[in-house]
Amino acid sequence: MTTRTPPRVAGTGRPPAPAHPGTAVRRAVVRQVRRGTVVVAVLCGGLTAFVAQEYEQTLSGAVGVGSLTALAENPAIRTLFGPPLALDDPGGFTVWRTGTVVAVLAGVWAALAGTRVTRGEEEAGRADLLLAGRVRPVTLVRTALAVLLGAGAGVGLAVTAGVWAAGTAWAGAVLFGVLVGGTAVAGGALGVLTGQLLTERRAASGLAVAVLLTGLLARMVGDGVPALAWLQWLSPFGLLGRVAPYAHDRWAPLLALGVLAAVPAVLAVVLAGTRDVGTGRWQGRDRARPPSRLLRSLPGLAVHRTRRPAATWSLGVAAYFLLIGLLATAMLDFLRDNPVFAQMAAAVGFARLASVEGYAASLFGLLAVPVGAFAAARVAALAADEAASRLTLLYSRPVGRVRWAGWEAAVAAAGAALVAAAAGVATWTGASWVGAGLGLGGALGGALSVLPVALLCLGAALLALGWAPSVVLPVGVLPGAGGFLLLVLADSFGWPAWVRGLSPFAHLAAVPAEPWDVAGAAGMVVVALALAAAGLVGYVRRDLRG
Amino acid sequence: MTLPTGPAALRAEHLSKHFGRTRAVDDLCLEVPPGEVFGFLGPNGAGKSTTIRTVLGLLRPTSGRVEVFGDPAGDVERAHRHLAYVPADVALWPGLTGRECLDLLAGVGPGTDPAYRDELVERFALDVGRRARTYSTGNRQKVALVAAFATRAPLLVLDEPTSGLDPLMEREFRRCLAEAAARGQTVFLSSHALAEVEAVCTRVGILRAGRLVEVAGLAELRRLRRSEVTVSLVRPAPELERLEALPGVADVRWATPLEVTLALTGPPGPVLRALGAADVARLDVREPSLEEIFLDYYGRDAA
Repeated sequence: MTTRTPPRVAGTGRPPAPAHPGTAVRRAVVRQVRRGTVVVAVLCGGLTAFVAQEYEQTLSGAVGVGSLTALAENPAIRTLFGPPLALDDPGGFTVWRTGTVVAVLAGVWAALAGTRVTRGEEEAGRADLLLAGRVRPVTLVRTALAVLLGAGAGVGLAVTAGVWAAGTAWAGAVLFGVLVGGTAVAGGALGVLTGQLLTERRAASGLAVAVLLTGLLARMVGDGVPALAWLQWLSPFGLLGRVAPYAHDRWAPLLALGVLAAVPAVLAVVLAGTRDVGTGRWQGRDRARPPSRLLRSLPGLAVHRTRRPAATWSLGVAAYFLLIGLLATAMLDFLRDNPVFAQMAAAVGFARLASVEGYAASLFGLLAVPVGAFAAARVAALAADEAASRLTLLYSRPVGRVRWAGWEAAVAAAGAALVAAAAGVATWTGASWVGAGLGLGGALGGALSVLPVALLCLGAALLALGWAPSVVLPVGVLPGAGGFLLLVLADSFGWPAWVRGLSPFAHLAAVPAEPWDVAGAAGMVVVALALAAAGLVGYVRRDLRG
Repeated sequence: MTLPTGPAALRAEHLSKHFGRTRAVDDLCLEVPPGEVFGFLGPNGAGKSTTIRTVLGLLRPTSGRVEVFGDPAGDVERAHRHLAYVPADVALWPGLTGRECLDLLAGVGPGTDPAYRDELVERFALDVGRRARTYSTGNRQKVALVAAFATRAPLLVLDEPTSGLDPLMEREFRRCLAEAAARGQTVFLSSHALAEVEAVCTRVGILRAGRLVEVAGLAELRRLRRSEVTVSLVRPAPELERLEALPGVADVRWATPLEVTLALTGPPGPVLRALGAADVARLDVREPSLEEIFLDYYGRDAA
């Protein structure tokens, strides 16, 4: 027998290269986002399906046509809750009640995932290993974008399936799903883009989320001020009102959504090909001003690390609450003219809307969510430092873990108070501008009254730091965001009192309309301290990661 | 010279650390007296870094105890007054400059000599005005080295401190180490650079699979090991055929009838007596390098 090619000798020939190196990269990225995708899809699909289902049983037919028109015409209602359209339809009600929340959740998650799989991998040095193979940086970015597109499609499908299964019209269900999924895709592309621009993952995530939430603010202004209605075209949240699922079912505005996702995606791909790996397109100064005097002690370090996030969060919260202050008189006029809605609002957790104090108090309730998220994010930053080995040198000095975590928590609590106070001052400024007659003391008191909930978030985050350090942020925002959602659902659908009582918000008084609920606040602080203490016990006992 | 009477700089008693079913460190007993420069050796994954992180209180021992100058390692506020640490892989806050990192570590440290620190910054040619994110691996390591040496802490715990340094900086590091030893500081040095360990350490411990297999002074270690003896003869000496039978002799190899090499363990007396009868032109005794000793320990695993 003859052979034309000599037989291969083991160990001397080079094994053939795999045909598609991109496949391996795609698998790696999918692995990183699949769990989050499933969680977000289940949350979004479940929440919308649930609200549509419950509407059928409790609220069907409760709203008359005349009231609907009045509601839709009021700028304050449109601004705060989005344009109320087709509220007589379970689908329309679901879009109005949950659309913004679900879209923000999907968009913010996707933005964080986008920076994580691009900038995060690069910052940790893992991308270098892949790029040493037959993979170009552009391929990594394209893969991330493609995977996030798939993740967004999954979330959108879950929403469509959820509301469709609850018995709403298919066209509205598809449009709603496309909007939520599209928001996730746009958010993910934005995250990938900021990951190309900035060198640090934390900064890139912050920028992406800030841009998204600015889009939300633009939607609010666009809904409230007819002359600025064009602002609605600039964000996925505004397009929700343009498409108007279940009301007008317009398909054309989806093109704008496509543009909102495509522009950051194309920019990201272009930038990926023209920058150095390991650094962002925008590089800060490499040399600092004279060294900070804060950085000589633990409390100083804690203040140094917290001051910029505290300023950024304060600014964002202040912008939102300035708008709320400016809308005070428009809202009060509306409720005076339409008492039906004052009753309805009371039924879904916005009691006493008829006075300016009541109006402010109702909206300060929302404030606990971002302030609590701020506190939880600070503890998450501590956990991230640990995972990146940045605490190893610090803890090799005579620094106890309780002392450092305690300083971080104390400064985070002070920062939370600052963020809340900024909201109070902003509300007072806006309300004074339109002559709504809200006192500075009342506004500040109302804003600061949510602090016990923020402390609960801080306590929950510390608990996670001690016992489950990889989920500090989700656990930390649970008392705030989860508690708020629980209260709204319990009030909307008349759930038993004990379920409602599980929400921290059930124990908040409507300051400044009511005096402080001292017992409720004290109880929450005690629970927060207990959570923090349990967390610190775990933190001291466990092995340090990183 | 008086013998140290205070507590050991570092004492580990039956220290074990398990991660799930993996025994990273297993029943380790070790005592490093004050003033000693101790080398801590072992192959990758032997448990060196786990031991060090347990000494620092970053990991909690599964069983056993560790003390630093008599203070339990878990009580870091007390134990860390006595030590300074340089990790193999230094992570710094990317937004802080080198100067800010040094200030911070001094601010929370066991007391720092600022003049000596400035001198060290000069000697290590560290540009402290730059932000940490612009630093290379070596530069980050320099920050940790400067911070550690500047404390003059009685115990220096160094985990592969020169893995990122160039030869020039490595020489500077050895100088600093020698100065520290001269001042009476204790050094616990984990390193793969065996020449470095050989140059600075007086005693070494060899860790394998989480267990300490040897703790000995370098001289003692060499004595226990085989030296290589090379003998050149003026004329052939057939009576030397009997060399193989002598105690402690192995691996006798005749390169030519006039040159023989052999491995010798233990006292050289019998070999020297045997050679006395022959006409020896040249005798060469080479002590084993630490690398050879070390490879001998590694090799046992493979054998």
